[in-house]
Amino acid sequence: MTAMIILLITIIFTFKYIQIANNSSIPLKLIAHDSDITKPKFTISGNNQEIAITAKEGDFLSDEKILLKKNVIFQSKKFKIFSDKVIFDKKKLIASSTEKSKFIAKNTSIISNGFDITDNGNIINFKGKTIITLK
Amino acid sequence: MKKIIFLTLILLLTYRGGLSRDIGETEILTDEGIEVFQNEKFYLLKKNVRIVSDNFTLTGNEVKIFFNKDLYDIVDIFAKGNVNLNSPAYNIKSSGKQIYINIVTEEIKVEGKESKLYLENVEMFSDGQIIVNNLSGAFQIIGINSILNSEDIYITGENIDGIFSTNDQKEIVQLNVNDNQISNIKTDDLDMYSKKAIYNKKTSIIELFENVKIIRGSEIITGDYGTFDTIKNSYKVKSNNTNKVKVVITNTDE
Repeated sequence: MTAMIILLITIIFTFKYIQIANNSSIPLKLIAHDSDITKPKFTISGNNQEIAITAKEGDFLSDEKILLKKNVIFQSKKFKIFSDKVIFDKKKLIASSTEKSKFIAKNTSIISNGFDITDNGNIINFKGKTIITLK
Repeated sequence: MKKIIFLTLILLLTYRGGLSRDIGETEILTDEGIEVFQNEKFYLLKKNVRIVSDNFTLTGNEVKIFFNKDLYDIVDIFAKGNVNLNSPAYNIKSSGKQIYINIVTEEIKVEGKESKLYLENVEMFSDGQIIVNNLSGAFQIIGINSILNSEDIYITGENIDGIFSTNDQKEIVQLNVNDNQISNIKTDDLDMYSKKAIYNKKTSIIELFENVKIIRGSEIITGDYGTFDTIKNSYKVKSNNTNKVKVVITNTDE
């Protein structure tokens, strides 16, 4: 009887061991991000306005410069700028893009091949062949 | 078959003749971008700029647009570098080195050599400035080679200014012509020269001052002061020195 109990316990332990061993052999699934920051947020504060900057991802290019990637949006009370790649200098508060960009404001849209935002957001320079539509 | 008809209808309804602009919209195209100065309230359009709206088309090498509250709220347009303006809606055609348009006051200023402004049936040319205010009818043509030409009058002078009637005919209701050398007013049958000329539609009289010369057919009269009555079609010439008035009648048949 005792032998039976010992055998049963041994079988249970062996089964459990195998189960644990099997579980531990499952490879670890590491969630790998190909960017340094997810959903970065910044703000450019000017004399008359504040521009909020958001993106899906960001990579540090240096201590000051960040490459904002995917769905980059610059938003103030008066306008929104959409782009997919923007380099933002968080010290100088300068943003620059060479990707296709779209500016939307009241009754106004601008499509350009990139832009620069300087002077605390006061000056926006839309680059290359540009189309402006005024309603 | 029904599908083909439906597709054709869709294509016909959505086809806009290759235009990307909708009615009521203004489209601006530039080759080297646009710089927006938000605090200063203007934007700078750079290289090969084309502005197309329902009422006008403007082209130039560089255009500065001042706005009031937002970018669409345009107050002034300042274009430079081979500027051309065409407005069939306002019967205006213009070209020059620089064109300045004030949307609020409806004033247009054309500057530079070989400036041209066609307004209704009036043609204005100058190597200096041409300024016309559509609301008041006031006009100024300043600089060398200044000319005002319409169906019944041709004027040259270094400074031509006056007032047009504000109706579509653009009739001259007031005129001042000055030229340190000599100014010239030509009508169908008269050729008048003087340093200064004044016309007022109320009196229907053209006054001529200094170095006056009136030519009608073979008749040439010179003096210091002359008047021409545009209704009676008659003229008088006076001289400071009573003996100075000179009449020359030539027989062209000889």
